[in-house]
Amino acid sequence: MRDDFPLPDRTWPLTAGFWDAAADRQLAIPRCAGCGRWVWYPRAACPGCGGRAMPWTAMGGTGRLHSWTTVHHCFLPAFDGLLPYSVGLVTLDEDPAVRVVTRLLGDPGQLRADLAMVVEFRPLEFTGVQGTVLAPWFRPA
Amino acid sequence: MSAVDLADVGGQVAITGIGESEHTGISNRTTRQIAAEAVERAIADAGLRPEDIDGIMYHPMGGDQFDEHAFHAHFGTTHDMWVSRDGGGMRWAATAPHEAALAIGAGRAHHVLNSFAVAWATQRSDMVGGPGQAHADNLVKQNLEIPAGYFPQPVYAATMARRHMIEHGTTTDDLAAVALTMRAHANATPGAVMHARPLTLDDHRTSPLIADPLRRYDCCLISDGGGAYVVSALGAARQLSRPLVTVAGVGLARAPEGSFLALRDDITTTEVADAARVAFAMAGIGPQDLDVLTVYDPFTIITLMVLEDLGVCPRGGAGALARAGELRAPGGRWPTNPHGGLHSHAYVLGIAHVVELVRQLRGQAANQVPRAGVGVYAASTGAEAGVLVLRGGPGA
Repeated sequence: MRDDFPLPDRTWPLTAGFWDAAADRQLAIPRCAGCGRWVWYPRAACPGCGGRAMPWTAMGGTGRLHSWTTVHHCFLPAFDGLLPYSVGLVTLDEDPAVRVVTRLLGDPGQLRADLAMVVEFRPLEFTGVQGTVLAPWFRPA
Repeated sequence: MSAVDLADVGGQVAITGIGESEHTGISNRTTRQIAAEAVERAIADAGLRPEDIDGIMYHPMGGDQFDEHAFHAHFGTTHDMWVSRDGGGMRWAATAPHEAALAIGAGRAHHVLNSFAVAWATQRSDMVGGPGQAHADNLVKQNLEIPAGYFPQPVYAATMARRHMIEHGTTTDDLAAVALTMRAHANATPGAVMHARPLTLDDHRTSPLIADPLRRYDCCLISDGGGAYVVSALGAARQLSRPLVTVAGVGLARAPEGSFLALRDDITTTEVADAARVAFAMAGIGPQDLDVLTVYDPFTIITLMVLEDLGVCPRGGAGALARAGELRAPGGRWPTNPHGGLHSHAYVLGIAHVVELVRQLRGQAANQVPRAGVGVYAASTGAEAGVLVLRGGPGA
């Protein structure tokens, strides 16, 4: 495993655009240049039209909470400093088929099904791991 | 439809031998040592000799399963064997009999062994996230999910449970009812890891939150152990001494989105729904014909979801069945995991579920369901699902 796991590998081509955009405080999703479809997760070819040009495209950064959990058990030593933390699935407003996995900020007691959420950028840090990356997480709007 | 088109092999082969290793915590044994114990017992149970086994199935996962080399090294044999790496536990414990039936039908083998073992209690501290290792190795998860803390399986299951509660009204008491049923079954099953450890509702309600709403006792065991079974042609099976248990139907389905839950339109259902349609059609049965069930049960919520996917009740109805005692063996209408499942029997990833199903259909189980004639094993591992229908008794 990489030394900086579980930080993302910003050099991995398939997802580098996601983290590059986050560094510029943008939440970005690949959009097919041919048919306009949002392609999530990123892949080599558009499942709609087969097009291969899918530039990372800035989103409004709003969505709805689909599901979530607050994690209490330490599954990785690197998570130790985070506990308890909340994580979930947020459906983006531009296309309900685009659902992102995201850390959830704020009071977990406020979380409700289909709650309106908004992106917030936070430095990502893990116990015992060198380095940091700016990450697009969500909090209740 | 995500179902895979499978040739009809209904009634062509039988499961003639079953075996399990000892199920333990940290055993300091290797995977192959554990598997060898289960394999010896399965071959002996069938009344066969090692040299009669001319087909072998295992899973390539980890590279340490009981393959043809391990077989020959253990038994001192040298004969040719038909080999398939599409065996093992999880959904493969359901679908291996299909591939075995094709091999037997084509004359490539007469008696096919399928085995699976884990030594994850022993190896756990060397794994990334324990059984989460396979997910940790996935680069998409490394870069889009794990940085957020969406890892490993208990976290996935917690988000499935939450959505199931939102959409279908399932409650934490429904989940607890599953856990208590599994534990009661294990308490009456010699050899179960939790045989001597009762569980109360209060124990469940006060156990540590792992990933809410899931508590410790919503999660399965981690243990060392293994299991094995032998698949034989129907004619050969009739010559052997054990009560006949035939393979009536097999189904396989693959999720187009793989194991990425974020991409799954409905996270409150599994591919078992599609796999069951295929297996039930092959067997010529419906859910109402099931006498006994074994369900791959890593988490209590998954048990409920898979029961719903099998069609034993409408979506959202399985929790009420669990609370009403309908999953109990014997006594319930839908006796589920009579051995205690992954939750309380052993974490051997489904191979012991098939062993238990055969025992039930032979009429020789600890928590025997009276006159069990049709049984199902259903396993969803996220990306794929397998369903196996077996027949025993006069209908076999």
